[in-house]
Amino acid sequence: MTTDALLLEARPAAPPVRARAPLTSHMILIALSILSIFPLYWMVSSSFKPVNEIYSPNLIPTAPTLENYVRVFDTLPMNVLMGNTILVAVMQTGFQLTTSILAAYALARWKFPGSGIVYTLFALTWLVPFQATMIPNYVLLTQLNLRNTALGIIIPNIGSAFAILLLAQSFRSFPRELIESAQLDGATSWGILWRIIFPNLRPVVASLGILLFINSWNEYFWPLLVSSRMDSSTLQIGLQMFMAGEVSLWGPVMAAATLTSLPIFLLYVVLQRQIIDSFVKSGLR
Amino acid sequence: MSSSTASRRVFLAADPLASAPWSQWLRRVQPLLYLLPALIAVGIWVYRPLVQTFVLSFYEWNLLPTSPQTFVGLQNYSRIFQLPDMTQALSNTAIYIVGLWPLAVVLPALIAIATDELGKRAREIYRVLIFAPMMMAPVVVAAVWRWILHPTNGIVNNTLNGLVNDFERIRFFTDGSIAIWVIIFITGWKLTGFSTLIFSAALTNINRDIYEASAIDGATRWQNLRFITIPLLSPTILFMTMLSILFASAWSFTYINVLTDGGPSGATTNIYYLLWVYGFRSFAIGWSSAAAMVIFVVFGIVAFLLIRLSNRLAFYDN
Repeated sequence: MTTDALLLEARPAAPPVRARAPLTSHMILIALSILSIFPLYWMVSSSFKPVNEIYSPNLIPTAPTLENYVRVFDTLPMNVLMGNTILVAVMQTGFQLTTSILAAYALARWKFPGSGIVYTLFALTWLVPFQATMIPNYVLLTQLNLRNTALGIIIPNIGSAFAILLLAQSFRSFPRELIESAQLDGATSWGILWRIIFPNLRPVVASLGILLFINSWNEYFWPLLVSSRMDSSTLQIGLQMFMAGEVSLWGPVMAAATLTSLPIFLLYVVLQRQIIDSFVKSGLR
Repeated sequence: MSSSTASRRVFLAADPLASAPWSQWLRRVQPLLYLLPALIAVGIWVYRPLVQTFVLSFYEWNLLPTSPQTFVGLQNYSRIFQLPDMTQALSNTAIYIVGLWPLAVVLPALIAIATDELGKRAREIYRVLIFAPMMMAPVVVAAVWRWILHPTNGIVNNTLNGLVNDFERIRFFTDGSIAIWVIIFITGWKLTGFSTLIFSAALTNINRDIYEASAIDGATRWQNLRFITIPLLSPTILFMTMLSILFASAWSFTYINVLTDGGPSGATTNIYYLLWVYGFRSFAIGWSSAAAMVIFVVFGIVAFLLIRLSNRLAFYDN
C-alpha cells in the first residue's frame, strides 16, 4: 500500500491527455449549463419586456416594465391561487411527513409478523401508475363531495411510500443503544420517537420535507382533475388556464410562469445544496 | 452498567401495569398503531382504486353515477387492442421510451464520466445550474418551451430565420413528423442535469485506488472506462434505465396535455395520455380501466426483470 502510494507520487506529472481534460470538461458543462438555464432566463427576461419589445431577441429588456405582472394580477385571482397552493403544499407535506415518520419508525424499530408484507406493500405503490387509480379515486372524491376543495387535492396524497422508505432507511441507522437505554429509563415508544430519534434526524426530515413540498407545489395531474374552478385551484392550473386563454400574450404568460415558480426559485437559491443532495440521494418520486 | 440494567429490568417486570394483559396486548399491536395512518392512506388511495380499476375493466360504464355499469366480461380487453388510436399510442410509447433513454441515461453518464476530474468548487457551480430544470413545474416548463419554440415569434425560429436564407419556419408542435421528438426533448431537458448528478455521485463513490492500481498496470483511458467505470456504474445505469422505461410516458404527460393535446392527429399521444382521454373525455371507463391494467402488468413485469438483472449484474465496490 505504502509502496504504491510512493510509486504514484514518483510518477511524472499528469500526461497530456489529462491536462487537456479539464478544459473539455468545462466546455461540456458550460454548454449543458447554458441549455439548462437559458429557458428559465428567457422566461424571466420576457416577463419584463413591454409589448413592443417582446418579439425582439434582446437578452436584457431595454425598457423593463411591470405591465405584464399587472396584467396577470388583473386577469387571474393570483392571491387566491397563491394561497391555495401554499395551503395545499404545506398541508400535504405536513400529512406526508407525519404519516411517514410514524410508519418508518414502526418498520425500523420492530420486527413483527407481517412486517415484510407491509414493507412490500409500501414499496410496490411506486409501480402503480396514477392512471390506474385515477378513475376510482375521482369517483370516491366526488362521493365525498370534495371536488373543488383544497382537501380534495391533498387527501389522496397523505401517505407517501417514497417518504416512508426513505425515512425507514435513516431510522434504521439510528444507534440502537440510545433507544435501548431510553427504554430502560422508562421512556415510552412515543417518547423515544419524538424526544430521541426525531431531534437527531431533523436534517433528514427537513430535506425530505423540502422535496415533498416542491413535488406538491408542482403537482399538475390531480389538481387538474379535481378542481375545475379558479377559486379552488392551484397556481399550476391557473397558469394552464391563463395560457389557454391568452395564447399570444407572451409577456403576461411569462410573468404568470415566473410568479408560479418564484417560491420554488427562492427556496432553491437559499437551500440549493440540501435540495440537490436530497434529490440525488433519494432518486425520483 | 450491566448491574443497573439488570435491576431496572427486574423493576420493569415487577411493574403491575407492565404485566397487565391489556398492556401486553398494546405492546404487541403497537407497531400496527404507528403504521395505521400510512396503511389506511395507501389502502384507500392506491390499492382500493387499483382493485376497483381491475373490476371496472370488465364493465362498460360512462362515469355517470346514475347510469348502470354493464358487465361485459373480457370484451374491453379484446376491443382495446383493435382500436387504431391504441395501436398508435402503444407504438408512440415505445418511441418515448427509446427516445428518452439517451437523454436520461447515455448522455448524462457520458457527461459525468467526461467531467469527473473537475475540481470540487467548479463542480459545485455547474451542479446548481444544471439541476435547476428539475425544480421547475412541468406546466411552467411547457409554457417556456412553447414560447421559445413558437413558429412565428419564438426565438429559435427567429434566430434561424436570420441565419438561413429562405428559411421555412419549423412548426415544432404541429408538424406531425417532429412533434413527438420535441416533447421527448423537453422531457429529457428537465431530466438530463438531474441524471448527470446521479451518475456523478455514483462515480465519486468508486474507490480511487482501483484507478491507481490500473494506472500502475498501464491501462489506457479506454480500458479504464470499459473494464472499471462502466461495470461499476452498471447498477446506476440499470436503475436510471428502469426509471426512464417506467416513467417516460408519465413524465411527458403534462407537456402533451399543455402543448399538443396528443396531436397533431395522435402523433404525440402515448398510453397514459390515452387512458386519460378515454377516462375523462370519451368516458369509456371500461376501455381506460382495461388498458390501465394491461400497462400495470406489463410495466410490473419489466420492473421485476430489471431488478432481477441489476441484482445479478451489480458489481459493488469493495
